[in-house]
Amino acid sequence: MSKLVNFTIDGVSVEAKRGETILQVARANDIYIPTMCYISKTTPCASCRMCVVEAEGVDGFVLSCNTPPTEGINITTNNAQLEVERTNIMKLYDVNHPLECGVCDKSGECDLQNKTLEFDISQQNFSTREQHRPIENWGLINYDPALCIMCEKCTHVCNEVIGDDAIDVYFGGYSSVIVPKNADKLDCTFCGECIAVCPVGALVSSEFQYKANAWELSKVPSTCAHCSAGCSLEYETRNTSIDNATDSIHRVKNNFEFTSLCGAGRFGFDFDNQAKSDSAAFAKARTALSAAKAIRFSSIITNEEAHTLQLLKEKLGIKLFNEDARLYSSFMKAYSSVSGKLHHSGSLDAIKQADGIIIIGSRVATDNPGVRYALTTASKHKGAKIVYAHPIEDVLMKNTMTQFMKYEAGSEEGVMALLANELLKDADLSEQERAFFADLDLGYLEAESNVGDDELKLMTKNFARSTKRVLIIGSDVFAHTSAANIAKLAAMIEKYTDFSLVVIPSQVNTLGVSLIAELDIDEDISDVVGYNAKGSFVISSLEAADLAIPALNQQEGTVVSIDNQVLPLNVAVSFEGFTLNDLAKHVGVVKENTIDYTKELNTAAGFQALEFDNLENYLDKYGKDIRGYILDEVTCEMNGNLESITPLPEFNGTVIYHSNPVLQFNAYTNITKQLERDTTLRGSAQFAAAAKISDGESIEISFGSSTIKRVFKLDPELKGTVALNPTFDINVAASEYRFLKSNIVRSV
Amino acid sequence: MEQFNNRNVADNGYFMVDIEDYPTDGMGKFKRIIKRTFRLELFVGLWVVMREMIKFDIHTISYPAEKMPIGPRYRAVHEMKRLWESDAERCIGCGLCEKICISDCIRMDTKIDEDSRKEVSEYTINLGRCIFCGYCAEVCPELAITHGGEYEQASEQREHFVDYEYMLTPIDTMKANAQKEFEGFGSITPHEDERVKKTPLAY
Repeated sequence: MSKLVNFTIDGVSVEAKRGETILQVARANDIYIPTMCYISKTTPCASCRMCVVEAEGVDGFVLSCNTPPTEGINITTNNAQLEVERTNIMKLYDVNHPLECGVCDKSGECDLQNKTLEFDISQQNFSTREQHRPIENWGLINYDPALCIMCEKCTHVCNEVIGDDAIDVYFGGYSSVIVPKNADKLDCTFCGECIAVCPVGALVSSEFQYKANAWELSKVPSTCAHCSAGCSLEYETRNTSIDNATDSIHRVKNNFEFTSLCGAGRFGFDFDNQAKSDSAAFAKARTALSAAKAIRFSSIITNEEAHTLQLLKEKLGIKLFNEDARLYSSFMKAYSSVSGKLHHSGSLDAIKQADGIIIIGSRVATDNPGVRYALTTASKHKGAKIVYAHPIEDVLMKNTMTQFMKYEAGSEEGVMALLANELLKDADLSEQERAFFADLDLGYLEAESNVGDDELKLMTKNFARSTKRVLIIGSDVFAHTSAANIAKLAAMIEKYTDFSLVVIPSQVNTLGVSLIAELDIDEDISDVVGYNAKGSFVISSLEAADLAIPALNQQEGTVVSIDNQVLPLNVAVSFEGFTLNDLAKHVGVVKENTIDYTKELNTAAGFQALEFDNLENYLDKYGKDIRGYILDEVTCEMNGNLESITPLPEFNGTVIYHSNPVLQFNAYTNITKQLERDTTLRGSAQFAAAAKISDGESIEISFGSSTIKRVFKLDPELKGTVALNPTFDINVAASEYRFLKSNIVRSV
Repeated sequence: MEQFNNRNVADNGYFMVDIEDYPTDGMGKFKRIIKRTFRLELFVGLWVVMREMIKFDIHTISYPAEKMPIGPRYRAVHEMKRLWESDAERCIGCGLCEKICISDCIRMDTKIDEDSRKEVSEYTINLGRCIFCGYCAEVCPELAITHGGEYEQASEQREHFVDYEYMLTPIDTMKANAQKEFEGFGSITPHEDERVKKTPLAY
């Protein structure tokens, strides 16, 4: 694998790794080759032919984007003939391209504009008959075929990175266009990556279109605040309007060359808190805090806020409630007790590079799109075999997964035991561990979990050639009664095989909070101050709070992503009010700014003593991620032992699964303007029959101690007796297992 | 035109004015004061006024009732032009005037209209900040924003000077074919048509 190919580009000696193309080597060595359709994160589109180079001893030109070099070859990237070739390509691109740069959204950051000027195309030598091509509206996306240059970047990204495979090229020579694949109207997850990669103004955000120009917007580099993938993004701000000089976010962009962003990050940016400063509320908050017995908070906060809460706990002797982070923390503690490491070993990058992946306990396409895109990338680029184990099949993962392993809801512990048993067959286990696997009643586990021996054998067969494997565990298992044992089994797999492990934190900063705050078991007591959570006095960045605080796009701070990476957040929109730090100052936890805590974060958990202002937040031109820092590895005591498998629970009747529709994650995505809010309970025909309800009916769902009203929607793509219940618009206790037995009645 | 190109001042009847040197010493200054006081120079000036008054040879105009004609290139309060073909507003909302404005006094809000075209929903120029440099008129690709001859900066309404409607050519003027094209900075140079290269249409 390590064999290097030596060759020269423009007389410069360079080296190529196996599989690298001439263009990749040239870019890595800062040699410029112009391209129109090339995008680093996909396979070459090879539609523009701008990247042609001359290779010594080869007739004609060579496409540098998809040609690997041979030993000793001499490449010329620029001479008179190549210049003519490229100039002609540019002239052809400009044929009938509407001269509406004045109104085009892309003007100022347009590849075609840049290249036209670069090649000095000042006149038109070619012509063809103008066609009538009306603008199409695809929901959040507008497509103008007249502007489209058919570079095919959008289709490549949609298929190879996102996995929606929703758009396609309709071939027809000069009348080629991009069309929704096998459909009249675009039906996709609306990640908007096609908008991001479009080099011209053909694909644009319909909400943003004609609102502002590229040069008017200030860029604020930050991190997406919706899920734990920690995607890098840039908020682009400008004065709201002529009458309102305060800045607001106009759009979100990402470094599409190397990273991806889902629709929630791209279109769900307006979750800032616009409440005004209220001193009376602040005085009340001070009283409430000094009388509080506990603070209940959510994981949608920064590390610095979590640290402040921890200091408040120490100072005031109160309790901290956060079931979401507490469950994650105890899951990871159990993992550490076997693996000897505090943090899981995998990352999104490890997933992208992997060739064998098991994912269990997560409806990943909606839980964490970042992981989904990594899975798609692995599947399309590395040919990764992906085993998707879950009680409910997901259409969005259909193109990505190799094998669907359906198990019964609640049987995750059994499934993990079966997986471990299969994967650790030849491992060098200790006496005790061997005894655990010897004691397993495989017949019972297979029968109850519904995962057959043949499925496990098939998985082993799929993984036969895999060398880099990843096990991904989702948030279903955190609230499982045997979560600790599941974590230990996962740690075993990681320890004894080549698997690395990724545990998907359920909220944006669940991981950070779990490392910083010492959490107590939530009790239903009075005098609880809610911090972005329920309580007798609510301090929140959402509406209807007793004291308003800034949302995550209005404050500086850090969050910890799924990659164990500490990522900085920046202020995109100003906030005129009080913060937790102001409140803490009054009870003796004094620091001038919240970010003064960044360097004081818990070093025992791997945080580094770095100032917030010293944290970088960008990707360099080679695509290297230079954002924040990765948590230091921390070793732990290995004292955990596997416990015998408890009898697997059974979920019969009408079971609901807490799962959000695409692009919705929490109360913050719920208040954004552009994201669709589908609050229906979605179930299969089988579920409808079991619950005795039909499509479009208003129903009342009771689970645990809560009762909510929903409309039932029959989803033909779903199977089985589990229905999907969204949680972004309601308050669901994180301590509850995501699958719940429910009682459904028709509401009158 | 010829006479303006001739830079030899002697040919145009120019001559040096014979001005006495200023006194430098105290005595000289004293003599000057005495001379000026008793020569009654004031009445020389008054006599000129009196003479012109009697002759009724009036050189002033009664501003504001009368106004001097203003040059076509004068850069006073902006105007927004309409298209000759359709009477529609020329401004396409490209934002270049907003970008180029060095005193940062132009702002616009744009949006997509029902016909999927870019529409300027709000447009203001803060004339209190404007330095009348003419960059906006120069950069405008549509010759939409230009300068006009309206140099008086006083009005009962502050809005008069920042309102898009106020700057826009009134539709009645347009219907009467009375819109004046700006000839100054940013306008089309003469013989522009001859310089345009046409796209081949040989398909």
